[in-house]
Parts: sequence; structure tokens; C-alpha cells
Amino acid sequence: MTTLGGTAAEPPPVESAGGGRELLFRARDLRKIYVTGEVEVRALDGVDLDLYEGELVVLLGASGSGKSTLLNNLGGLDVPTSGELTYRGEDLTGADEKMLTRFRRDAVGFVFQFYNLIPSLTARENVALITEIAPNPMAPEDALALVDLTDRMDHFPSQLSGGQQQRVAIARAIAKQPEVLLCDEPTGALDVKTGITVLEAIERVNRELGTLTVIITHNVALAEMADRVIHLSDGKISGIDHNSSRRSARSLEW
Amino acid sequence: MVIHPLDLKLLRDVGHMKGQMLAVALIMACGLAMMIMTRSLILSLESTRAAYYERYRFADVFSDLKRAPNSLRERIEEIPGVAAVETRISGRVRMNLPGLDEPADGTILSIPEDHPMRLNQLFLRRGRMPERSASNEVVVSEAFAKEHGFEPGDTIDVIMYGAEETLKIVGIGLSPEYVFEARPGDTLPDAKRFGVFWMNERELGYAFNLDGAFNNVIVDVAPGEDTAPVIDALDRLLEPYGGLVAHDRRDHPSARQLDDEIAVLNGLSVAFPLVFLSIAAFMTSAVLSRLIRLQREQIAQLKAFGYSSRQVGVHYLKFALVIVILGLSIGAVAGFWLGDNIVTLYHKFFQFPSLDFQPNYRAIAVAFVVSCGAALLGVIGAVRQAVKLPPAEAMRPEPPADFKPSAFERLGLQRFFSPSLRMALRNLERKPWQATFTAIGLVLAAGIPIVPGAMRDGVHYLLDFQWDLAQRQDMTVSLIEPGSASAFNDILHMRGVMSAEPFRAVPARLRFGHRSYRTAVTGVPPNTRLNRALDRFGKPLPLPPDGLLLSAKLAEILGAKPGDQIWVEVQEGRRPRVLATVQALITDYAGLQAYMDIDALRHLIREGGTISGAHVAIDPVQREAFMEEVKEAPRVASLGIKDSVRDSFRNTIAESISLIQGLYFTFSVIVAFGVVYNSARIALSERSRDLATLRVIGFSNREVAAVLIGELAMLTLIAIPIGLFVGSALATWIVSAASTETIRLPLILTPRTYATAVLIVVSSALVSFWVVSRRIRNLDLLGVLKARD
Repeated sequence: MTTLGGTAAEPPPVESAGGGRELLFRARDLRKIYVTGEVEVRALDGVDLDLYEGELVVLLGASGSGKSTLLNNLGGLDVPTSGELTYRGEDLTGADEKMLTRFRRDAVGFVFQFYNLIPSLTARENVALITEIAPNPMAPEDALALVDLTDRMDHFPSQLSGGQQQRVAIARAIAKQPEVLLCDEPTGALDVKTGITVLEAIERVNRELGTLTVIITHNVALAEMADRVIHLSDGKISGIDHNSSRRSARSLEW
Repeated sequence: MVIHPLDLKLLRDVGHMKGQMLAVALIMACGLAMMIMTRSLILSLESTRAAYYERYRFADVFSDLKRAPNSLRERIEEIPGVAAVETRISGRVRMNLPGLDEPADGTILSIPEDHPMRLNQLFLRRGRMPERSASNEVVVSEAFAKEHGFEPGDTIDVIMYGAEETLKIVGIGLSPEYVFEARPGDTLPDAKRFGVFWMNERELGYAFNLDGAFNNVIVDVAPGEDTAPVIDALDRLLEPYGGLVAHDRRDHPSARQLDDEIAVLNGLSVAFPLVFLSIAAFMTSAVLSRLIRLQREQIAQLKAFGYSSRQVGVHYLKFALVIVILGLSIGAVAGFWLGDNIVTLYHKFFQFPSLDFQPNYRAIAVAFVVSCGAALLGVIGAVRQAVKLPPAEAMRPEPPADFKPSAFERLGLQRFFSPSLRMALRNLERKPWQATFTAIGLVLAAGIPIVPGAMRDGVHYLLDFQWDLAQRQDMTVSLIEPGSASAFNDILHMRGVMSAEPFRAVPARLRFGHRSYRTAVTGVPPNTRLNRALDRFGKPLPLPPDGLLLSAKLAEILGAKPGDQIWVEVQEGRRPRVLATVQALITDYAGLQAYMDIDALRHLIREGGTISGAHVAIDPVQREAFMEEVKEAPRVASLGIKDSVRDSFRNTIAESISLIQGLYFTFSVIVAFGVVYNSARIALSERSRDLATLRVIGFSNREVAAVLIGELAMLTLIAIPIGLFVGSALATWIVSAASTETIRLPLILTPRTYATAVLIVVSSALVSFWVVSRRIRNLDLLGVLKARD
């Protein structure tokens, strides 16, 4: 385990996970402070982090550790209060709403704990919703095939199980062929067995498409499927683990 | 005072949805304002009328005759059921007033000298009654005096029965028989050119050569007695004295006007609120159902804490109550304010000692009950759903809503639809009732503006049609007594007269089946070129040598149609009766006409070439010369000037129509905006999670707004054509409900009216969409990742 040191001014220490792969996200001294009334919450309190193409990263932390805030900042849903955050060298800290929307549309795929499918659209149409606006999408059918849902394509969300709904959400997230897949507690609302099928889908996407995948969870068991495990507490990175070999999602237990 | 926490929640929730609640309350207020206004006006008119008639002893039966000796009064008093009798002298006077080119005229009535007035007593505003045996002292009707600035002490020159007299005004007064103070046979008041005078009986008898006699009788029927037998007995008694058939209050020209107005108000007081309260009810339902869906978990918590279903139910019913109270407060204030304004307008039509606006508080109570009922009807379903929910289930997020492909897609059309269009279509289909109600609201929003538009165009059309197309004469000369062929010749040769057409009018009762109507039958020559009877296309109707042409409204009152044979019962002279065929219906918009060939009428009443007067066309250059000559002509009773009538129409009827028109217009804007805004807000809040998700995954604000608005835009597009159709029907109905014997609006629907309606709905929609789009920008994108519904 190596704890990240150094300051924002220094060049980032080369992580073994980089392996010559391209650097996507670079964060230095990232801070996010929420002020409500007189209370100041430091959700992110000086985070330094580099994320590379094709990695599967698990962000582990208790609730309130700042992991969601970090994900939101990475995904362009929120901007940091201070610090440096770039994506492929482009600054995200000062981006306006329009630019963030474009960033989300072109580069990021989201998977949420509660799936957030549009109930009035079938599985295929939920995916098509994205492929219509993305510059370089795959066919919705192919995306659904990747998550093993070819036979449920024309079902509405209400006709699908929780795991199936989450797999549709993954298909929706990857159909645009994003460079980044951000998953917020993707198995949080699912039982173990279904959770595993969902993780398998994420794993497959990461492997076959080479998408940088960040999963945030408080479930320690998920750590073993990652290339790197980043531990967050109190808005700071408390440690980073490198797994020399990833365990397959199928073999996980919790 | 400690406010119950649930009520605090109520207050704060209301604060959060104040825009929507206000929108619903405003629509409710429109209906309630109309209801409170009309009910208050009815109360004001009815109670003022009742008190006035009672206090000043308005008679029940009225009759005119040629001449009968005063001794006949005792025999009238002996008729069973008669409580009091007043015999009077009634005459016509003409005046040349300073500042008035044309002659004015009036009715002069006698004041008994040997006893106080028994019936139709005078209310004296100022001054006094004529002193006994004082000569030439008169009381003048208030409206006329006010118009000319007459005060007690002034004098006025009149021509009575061909002789000039100078009358001294000693009092300004009002009478219950002239609440509607119009020239006999006229449909509009004309205080400038028509007044009423009261003078001592003996003196008036001398002036009209009726000394010791009377030519008018009014009768008070004992309480509980029917007027019909009294009328019959009176008719038999007066027939030898040249009696016109008697009539009761229903046919009294002034009383009938009041009845008409109250009937119109009665119609409006029900129909209009019904429409608005229905919309408000469904909107309350939509707003509360949505609130309850959103507060699913809160309801569960309340119940988990131990609140009973009843307490939870009552809590949500209070939201409806807030809307009702808000709507009622606005409605009551608006209703009173409008009513107060209309009463001011009434002063132009109706002369009472005092007519004040009387707020009808009972109407408020009724309005409260009715609107509570409407609101309850709207929310009971949603509230029941809320209280039925078991706590444990309510704590869990609602399962994804059930959807299926829409009907269009089942027809195989799906490839033409984008995903967002499909979302919209399926949403509409999944909640057909919500969509239907929204559509109904939009239909009404598009339909209601048709009404004021139709009214405006109707007034314009009426002004042109009635006074340019139908009545092409400039003036109408009426004679004191029917004249002969030479009288017509005299008129024809007056200075400035370019052409003239005679007419002979007799009072008559038209009877068809069990319905009858008292009016005048007017004999006119065939192929008139001045005063013309027109069909609905504005084409002159040929006057057949026998039979009648009737105003369409008169035929409707009688229930007769062309081809029917109706009884014409002439009410003067020998009172002949004849069956005449209704040959065709006249399209006209003011007053009621029954035309007959003048020779046929003369034959019926066995007269030679008599005329009652003539319609004349005047050379504008010689107008003044004509006026001068008329002023000197002793046999002329009155001069009707078309332009004056038209002006008077503009000042009275047109003004009140424009008030109503403004009202409808305001209401339609409120409904349009209220419905669209509310629907958009509900859609936004119901689907904020979907919309935020779309934002998160990369949709721009515009694209998300398009998804939300697509659904409403679709409904709006469907609703507009239906709305225009419904609005046309509504306008037809309101125009016909407001059609009276005095005035009827033609139904004129123009592209401009339709365009205005479309514009109102579309612009309300655009403004609502804009407001909602702004809210999309503030959607909580982060919350949606975690939060459940």
C-alpha cells in the first residue's frame, strides 16, 4: 500500500497501474466545501488522484467519507470549491454548465444505485435515448447484448427485475462508448446473486471496451475485482491498494 | 396558541406550492365571483323591487280605454278580487327643449285631487306634490329632469292636445310603473327625449277634453287572488268605452324589463359557475393527487407514529379547504366589486328611489358549500388512496410505473417516433383521466375566449344590421291619434322629406296554443324600402298579402314556426280576432315585431287609409328645417330618431356587454394560464426524477424541457381545435341565454375571434413552459442519484 504524498505543484508520481496507459483524470488538492448556515462541511479535503484509461477502480469509504462527492466532481455533476481537476488535460474546475453537459454527454456513463430508468421507455428505448445524442454510439442492441439482455430488450422497467433494470442502466451508460464509466453503489439495492450479475456486466464492459471504470461502494468485498482500491475517509484519500491480480466478479462473496 | 405540527406542515407545504394553489383558486374564484355577483344582483333587484312595489303600491292590472265616466269606478271596485282602483287620465305631451334639435315627448298622468294616490304612488325626490287646484304644476320624472337639469321652480313649455302650455315643475319624482322609463313601445330608455309628468286630474281633464272622465285604469288585486278573472271582468266592463284589453304585471312594459333582467341573471348564476367549478375541481384533484404521491413516505411515517387514517385524511382535505377559502375570498371580493359596478350601470336602465348593491351573504355560504363539494369531489379519491396505504408498503419506493406501448405504436407506427415522443405518448395513455382532464381544461381555455369575441362582433354586426340594413329611415314620426291618408300626405310633404312609408300599429295579443304575447301588430305596405323586414342573410322578406311576418324571437316565445296559424287578437276598437298564418320569420335584434300588410290590417280593424305614423328619409341638408316643422306639427306625438336610438344603444346595452365581454376575456386568460401552468408543474414534479436523470446522462436543459413540454404541447394541439368548437357552442348558448325581448345578439364568429382564442392558449402555454423550463435548470441533479421518489 502506497500513500499518495506530494503537492499539486509536483508532477504526479507514476503509478504502476498506469502502465503506459493514457492519463484521463488528474486531481490535485481537490476540495469541496459545502456551507449550510454556519456549518461548513469539508466533503473533499485535499484529494490528489490520477485515473488512467482502462482501469477498474473501486472507491471504498463509509457514508460521509466524500466518495459520492468525488464521483460527482469526476462526472461533471458538480464543480470543486478549489484545487485542480482536469480531464485529458482540460480543466473541469471552471467549466460552465454547458461544457459540463457536453462532457457528461460525450465522455461519461453513469450507473446509479436506483437504476433511474425512464419507466415509460422499454429497455431498448432507454438505451436508444442515449445513442440518439451521443457522437459515436454503439447500437442499443449491442449494448444490451453486452449485459446479456438481448431477450428482454422490449420489456418496460416494470417488467424487469432489479438486477435486470441495473443491467439496462449499465447498457445505457456504455452505449455511447464512454471513456469513463462511473458507478454509484451499483449493487446497493440488490441481493448478492443479482449483484454479482451486475458486477459481471461492469467487469465485461471494462475488459472488452477498455473503459475507465470507477465503482463507489461501502462494500469491501468489491475491492478484490479492482485494479486499484482507493480508500476515502473524511474527505481525504487514506490509502490506495494495488491488486496484483483482479478477482473475477463471479467469485466474489459478501 | 400552539399550532398543531400537522397544521405547520400544511402551512409550509402550501407555501411551497402556492403558485399552483393560487392558479386553482383563481379559476374557482372566477366561477364564484360570477355566482356571487349574479346572486347579489338578483337580491338587490328583487328586494329593491319588492320594497318599492309594496311601499308605493304598484298596481296588478292595467288597462287603457278611450273615455269612461268617473262613475264607472264604483263598478270596477265591485269586481270580485279587486282591492283598490285608481282611474286616471293619461296623455302624451310634446316639448321643444332648448339645446335639442328634435322634439322631445312624454307621458302625462293625472294625480287625484279628492283623495291621496291609491296606487302607483309617487316617490318625491325633491320638491312637493302639486297643490290642490293649483294650475299647471307638475312633478317630473327624475331621469328626464336629471338629463336636462330641471329643478323645482323651473318651467317647461309643452304641447298638450294641440295647445301650448307652460308647466311649472314643483317636484322631481319616481313611480314604480316607470322603473324602466321608456317611451311606450320603445325597447330602450331615452331620458333625453322622453319624460313622465304628473299633474292634477281636473286640470289634465280639461286639457285632454276628459273632464269628469278617465282613459286609464289601474287595479290592485287582493292578495291571493288571481289576476285573470279580474282582467276578464274589467275587459267586459270597459269594452263599450273603447277599452284596450287589460293586462297584468307580466305584460307591463316596465315590469317586464325587470323580469327579463332577473331571468338572464338567473341563467348566468348557475351555468357559468358550473363550468368553472368543474375545472377547479379536477385541478384540485390533480394537484392533491400529486402531492399525496410525493408524500407517500411522509404519510407512512405519520401512520407509523400512530396517526389515524382519519387524521391523515383530514390533513390532506385541509389543502382543498385552503384552496376553497382562497378562491372564495378572491371570488367574493371580485364578485362584490363587479356587482357594485354593474349596479352603477343599472342606474342607466332602472329608476328606483335607491338601488344599492346588496351583497348576498347567503350566496357566499352557498358558494362555500358548492366549492367545498367540488373540491371534495376532486380530492376524495386521492385522499382515500393516501389513508389506505399500509405504512410498511409506503416506506418502500414506489415500483416503476407500469407502461406499455401506445396505441400508435401498436399500429406499427413506432419507427416514426423518437424516444422522447414515445415517452410523451405513453404517459398520456397511461394516465388517460389526467390527460383527459387537462385536455378539458385546455379545451375550455380555448373555448371561453370565443364568447367575448362573439359578443364584440355581435354588437358590431347588430349595429350595422339593425340600423343600417333593416332600418334605413332616418326618423319615425308617430301621430297622437291614427290619421287619415291626408295625414300621410302632410308628412310626405314636410320640408326635407325625401321619401316616406306609412305604418299602422295596433296593440294586439298574439296567441298560439296556450302561449300568448301582448305586443303591437304593425301594418306596412308591401316592398318597403325604408323600414325593412329581413331574413337572416339580410335579404328583404316579401310581405305576403295575408298572414304575418314575425320576429324570430317572438315566434320562439309563442312556440310557432312558419306555416303555423296563430290568433291575432286586436286589443282596441272592436277587438277583432283573426287567424293568420306565420309566413316567414324576421331576423332582427332589438324589440319584437309582427308585420302585416297594411291594407289587410286596415280591413281587419275596418278602417280606411289610416296610419299611426310614418318612417321617413330626410335630406341631411334640410334636417333642421324638418325638425322645425315637426315641432310645429300639432298631430305629431313623437319623433323617433334612428341615430339617437343607436347612440342610446351604444351607451347602455353596448356598454354593459363590453363589461361582460371584458369579464369573460379575463376569465379565459386565467383559465388558460391556470390549466397549462398547473399541468406543466404537475408533470415537472411527477417526473423530476426522470428529467434529472436525463440531465445527468448528458441531455441539455433544452432537450429535457422538450421531453416535458412535448406531452403538454401535444395536448394543447389536440385541445385547441376541440376548444374552438366547444367555444362556438358555448357562445351560441350564452348568446341565446342572454337574448331578451329587448335585445338579442346575433352569433357572429369570425377568424379574428378564433385567432384570439388560439393566441391566448398558445401564449399561456408558452409562458407556462418558460416558467417550467426555468425550473428544469434548478433540478437537483445530485439528489436524484441517491434519492428515491
